[in-house]
Amino acid sequence: MLRSTILLIFSLFLLTQCTKKDGSGTVTIQLDHSVAGNAFEVDQLKYACQAGHTYSIVNLKYYLSEIKLTDKHGQIISRGNIHLFDIQNPASASLNLDNIPDGDYTQLSFVFGLSEIQNVDGGLINTLENINMEWPIPGDQGYHYMKFEGRYDSLNTGIVRSFNIHTGATKGNQNYLEITLPIQTLILRDNNWTIHLQMDLNEWLQNPTTFDFVGHEAIMMDQSAQEIIKANGGTVFSIGSVKKT
Amino acid sequence: MRILSTFIVFLILVLHSCTKDSEIPNSWTYNPTPYLLEFPDEFPQMQIELANPLTVEGVQLGRRLYYDQLLHPAGMHACSECHLQQSSFSSSAEVLPHINLGWNSTFLWNGKISGTLEDIMQFEVDDFFHADMNRLEQDSLYPRLFFEAFGTETITSTYTARALAQFLRTVISSNARYDNVFLPGSGEFPTEEEQNGYDIFFSEKGDCFHCHGGILFTDNNFHNNGLDTQPSPIGRSAITGNPNDLGKFKSPTLRNIALTGPYMHDGRYTTLEEVIDFYSEGLKISPTIDPLMKQAHKGGIHLTGKEKSDLLAFLHTLTDTTFITNPAFNSPF
Ligand code: HEC
Ligand code: HEC
Repeated sequence: MLRSTILLIFSLFLLTQCTKKDGSGTVTIQLDHSVAGNAFEVDQLKYACQAGHTYSIVNLKYYLSEIKLTDKHGQIISRGNIHLFDIQNPASASLNLDNIPDGDYTQLSFVFGLSEIQNVDGGLINTLENINMEWPIPGDQGYHYMKFEGRYDSLNTGIVRSFNIHTGATKGNQNYLEITLPIQTLILRDNNWTIHLQMDLNEWLQNPTTFDFVGHEAIMMDQSAQEIIKANGGTVFSIGSVKKT
Repeated sequence: MRILSTFIVFLILVLHSCTKDSEIPNSWTYNPTPYLLEFPDEFPQMQIELANPLTVEGVQLGRRLYYDQLLHPAGMHACSECHLQQSSFSSSAEVLPHINLGWNSTFLWNGKISGTLEDIMQFEVDDFFHADMNRLEQDSLYPRLFFEAFGTETITSTYTARALAQFLRTVISSNARYDNVFLPGSGEFPTEEEQNGYDIFFSEKGDCFHCHGGILFTDNNFHNNGLDTQPSPIGRSAITGNPNDLGKFKSPTLRNIALTGPYMHDGRYTTLEEVIDFYSEGLKISPTIDPLMKQAHKGGIHLTGKEKSDLLAFLHTLTDTTFITNPAFNSPF
């Protein structure tokens, strides 16, 4: 009797050892914006672009989706976030990936914009914010991926005009971007972390192709301009600090 | 018979005044019926204050207050005097319409009030009307109506604002010709002119949709759309103090736009034709003009005569005649 009781206790002990819950934590992505290494200030006509104009950024909104963390064994964790950053809403500069299991994470990847799964009319939930991002161009579908609007002093002559870089699916081309960035190993052990994701807005306008605002006041129906922006997107993002919080 | 009913009315009056200072009369009940708000799936969910759920009693009270001059301290004005149903609850010049306000979070042309419908109603009742709650308390009907809607024995401006907010959440327009001919399912189709106008409105040709787009036909935001070289009044910057907001005003919804003239915050345009001419060739440049007014340096989007009339035909599809005749929104008096 005593023997069996001891056995029982022992096996219970073993069982609880086995089921001891693995830890998890929240990984916060903090979106930091700069312009050619300078602090980003809204509506300040003071940045220089490769095409030779001084420009300002008046409005900035964009979607990040399919955000994934990959650990050192190649296992991918996604929380299905579809995130809308809006310069008018400071709270939108950070987003949380909740309940991320313990692991050593080495890579952050995401879609800039929306892939064909969501990028159809009515593909996102009907919030006011999403409705304002609709892409209603006759013949096209879905949502704006980015609204990047501003003014430029044309070749610094004092003649100020505006530009509207609106990206999205145009004439059957999807135009979203897949970004993969290595991160300095994030060792999650039942704790919370913050990854600073940096966006250098000036890079949309260069590398590899100079984007000239002249002739590009609006580009929603202009696939060749969409392609320049898409290609330039490769150098826009980088990882800043990765820290325990 | 006539004498008898007069006597009964008299008796009721006497009884009523006797019970005035005592407990709640037995005949009053606080058992409000939830009000089911209905609108098409294309519309976003409406944010409703937890503290102020819609009830049949609350909505009816709000409607009555909206049409009642008793709300005004001198008994001279009612909301409905400037906000007329046949004009989409707008009227001459600068009066903003009351249509689909339940989806709004910034109010007045310069966005002086932001928050919920309760917040703007509190402002209207207290700061605009300086309403005197004693007038409602001394009325023969209101104490009971407030009790039935809110279970309250004292009438406050907060409850008054809540009732008005409930009513205005129900003031929804979703049945314009646009909703039938451009959204799938009805089997009705636009005319060729309306379709052309739609294409101008929703493409970068006209580019109206960036500010007046979506199912609500407003982006709920503030823009300088190029009315003046030196904007005055200064609009949004009067509230934010930010010089970059100079000349920005709320984008009005274009639903029922044919009913709400004259147009712009100062009513400077009498007709929609004039408004279209303005966007076509009348734009004025100022430092804060919105980047979306991308052809401003050419004076505008330069539509041909045919394009202008097509755009006008499209704007007329936004008129909802069932809204302006809906008996649920008209005067209960
Ligand atoms: C004397 C005319 C007049 C009366 C009476 C009046 N209003 Fe108005 N209302 C206006 C004008 C003019 C505006 C726009 C003012 C502005 O933006 O500065 C307005 C704007 C509003 C708005 C903002 C709508 C929006 O889209 O931002 C609301 C809400 C409103 N009124 C509610 C009321 C209520 C409730 C009452 C009754 C308590 C009322 N009004 C009575 C003239 C009136
Ligand atoms: C940059 C944003 C923007 C764009 C683009 C725009 N509008 Fe507007 N619209 C506004 C704003 C803001 C107002 C109110 C301006 C004011 O009164 O100061 C307005 C006012 C109006 C009004 C008058 C509304 C009223 O109730 O008085 C009409 C009609 C209108 N716009 C139609 C159009 C059409 C048609 C187009 C496309 C050709 C267009 N708008 C493009 C922002 C815009």
